[in-house]
Amino acid sequence: MAIKYTIQGLLIYAAMAWYLLAFVVMLSRQRKMGHTLFLVGFVVGCTAIVYRWLHVGHIPLQNLFEVFLCLGVLAYPISIFCNRVLRVGGVAADMLIGVIVLFPAGFVFSAEPQQLPPALQTWLFGPHVFVYMLSYVLMTKAAVQASLQLAGRQTTENLLLPEEATYRMVCAGFPLLTLGLVLGSIWGQNAWGDWWGWDPKELWSLASWLVYVGYFHFRYMFGKRFPRINSLWAVVGLIAIIITLLWVNLSRLFSGLHNYAM
Amino acid sequence: MPEAGLKNRLRRVALWAGLLLILLLISLSIYGAFIGAESAKGFFNSIPLAVYWLVFAILLILGIALFRQLLCLRGLFLIHLGCIIILAGGIIGSQAGFRIQDKLSGTDTIRTGQMIINEGTTERAVELEDGVIKMLPFAIKLVDFKIEYYQPGQLIISTLNGEEFKIPVQEGQKYVLGDDLGSVEIVRRFEYFKLKREGDKRIAIEDVNGGPNPALELLLKNSDGSEKTRYVFERSPGHSMPDDNLQFSYHRSVKDFLSDVEVVKDNKVVTRKSIEVNKPLHYGGYLFYQQGYDRDAGRYTMLGVTNNKGLGIVFLGYILLCAGVFWHFWLRHLFGDREMED
Ligand code: HEM
Repeated sequence: MAIKYTIQGLLIYAAMAWYLLAFVVMLSRQRKMGHTLFLVGFVVGCTAIVYRWLHVGHIPLQNLFEVFLCLGVLAYPISIFCNRVLRVGGVAADMLIGVIVLFPAGFVFSAEPQQLPPALQTWLFGPHVFVYMLSYVLMTKAAVQASLQLAGRQTTENLLLPEEATYRMVCAGFPLLTLGLVLGSIWGQNAWGDWWGWDPKELWSLASWLVYVGYFHFRYMFGKRFPRINSLWAVVGLIAIIITLLWVNLSRLFSGLHNYAM
Repeated sequence: MPEAGLKNRLRRVALWAGLLLILLLISLSIYGAFIGAESAKGFFNSIPLAVYWLVFAILLILGIALFRQLLCLRGLFLIHLGCIIILAGGIIGSQAGFRIQDKLSGTDTIRTGQMIINEGTTERAVELEDGVIKMLPFAIKLVDFKIEYYQPGQLIISTLNGEEFKIPVQEGQKYVLGDDLGSVEIVRRFEYFKLKREGDKRIAIEDVNGGPNPALELLLKNSDGSEKTRYVFERSPGHSMPDDNLQFSYHRSVKDFLSDVEVVKDNKVVTRKSIEVNKPLHYGGYLFYQQGYDRDAGRYTMLGVTNNKGLGIVFLGYILLCAGVFWHFWLRHLFGDREMED
């Protein structure tokens, strides 16, 4: 953990501060003000991304620092989309999600600029990572709604109930998750000559995708007879996504395990 | 009606079987992630798993036959059909699939392998994963192999107490490291460094006839005014002379590496291409992709070879699957097609 005493770092901290302020204001029931502050946080976050882009000279989606920065910034447009189009609540929670997601970019992952290695120089790089990120934010929101439901909370806003809100967001995110997987596979074909290489990251991403396939089938089979189990699937889906995203880092934690096994 | 009752029971069984197979595949994927890519590849190609894939594909077909929605709802149909087709392509392109096709047709096809080609030479031999050598029905000539680096390179200096300086490499540039560390000047950059004896002195020269040996010549100035020359080689990072308090590394990041090749058939050049990472050559049912190169001298290239059998089928499945999910979950709502929404 380290504080980044750079313009880049300051921009991230500023975005986090606006998001947090927006959250506090929302809790004190000043919704309009909260929305405005959320928007300001988003604009500052965008500035951080543009700054990074200019600094490294390529789409800033190469490493976990850049990915978490973009995920944090996407929290705003996805929140607005879910609220206006899907009729899903939880805007205040989205502000908090934004802060939590920006935290690793601000304090954990290194912002050391890197040059694009040959494997990443392809038109697939941007779309592959970007659609994954959009779906990850949607699935995160879905899991939050699912947890609300598991905790027995009902929305007070005139919007969808949590179980249905979860379903709708998974429905919105699933095509993107599928596209991410397919683009990744096409990329693998071009770069390594194999559309499926059975490597851990691929297998975790397949497992996450299948959790949502399982969710759809379970929900089709039982409808709303077991609403809590429906929601549990969405939570498990997010856990699988987090492991997929962080596997390279997590597998280092497991290296002791492997040593022991050897 | 007993027939309807039977069909309903079949549907129930199929749905449960589908759910269980999905849960099983989730568990197997996670298991595969823990054992590493190489073992996972073997595992997912083993006979029990071959049975699994076949059962899954059959169940998907059964699903479409049993459930009216899967046939009538365009999106759902495309999703499930897409999965069947991907599985079919995967099976056709798998090791087992190749073995069966070779047996049936009496051929001996190359599935995956590797070629090593020296600059200026022509090669037909492909080394398979198990070390067996097979010949292609055409040859590949490596006309030229090129490596490009990001400019400028970096000189990395580490001190004994763990401090690190990263300096962009520019000839003639001088950097002050600090009061007690003195300064360093990058005097010269070499691609083909060699030491030549001249009388009783040894001098550094560029020797294009020798192998590449990228290096930097540094002039270190101590705070007391004393000077010394040091050479830093890209191939031996973190090098330090016994009485030095600094360690040096010369680092360049590879921007691209590419093989200019010609495909030769019946003594005629039939096609030319620059193979790069992410830009494979397609020819004669094979894909040739840039896999590696001679890291010491840059004299040969390593091309991965894969047979593209089944690949078109898999990609067709991808298109159907993607069209299906976007239609079912996004577009049909926009186009007011609300046939069976709950
Ligand atoms: C990897 C394999 C599979 C994938 C990706 C897949 C995907 C999906 C998706 C995305 C849905 C839509 C759910 C919704 O609208 O909420 C669905 C529904 C369904 N699937 Fe599958 N599925 C797979 C395997 C199977 C199998 C093996 C069966 C066989 C029994 C099956 C039978 C069904 C049925 C009956 C529905 C419900 C249709 C409806 O909503 O009316 N699926 N599937």
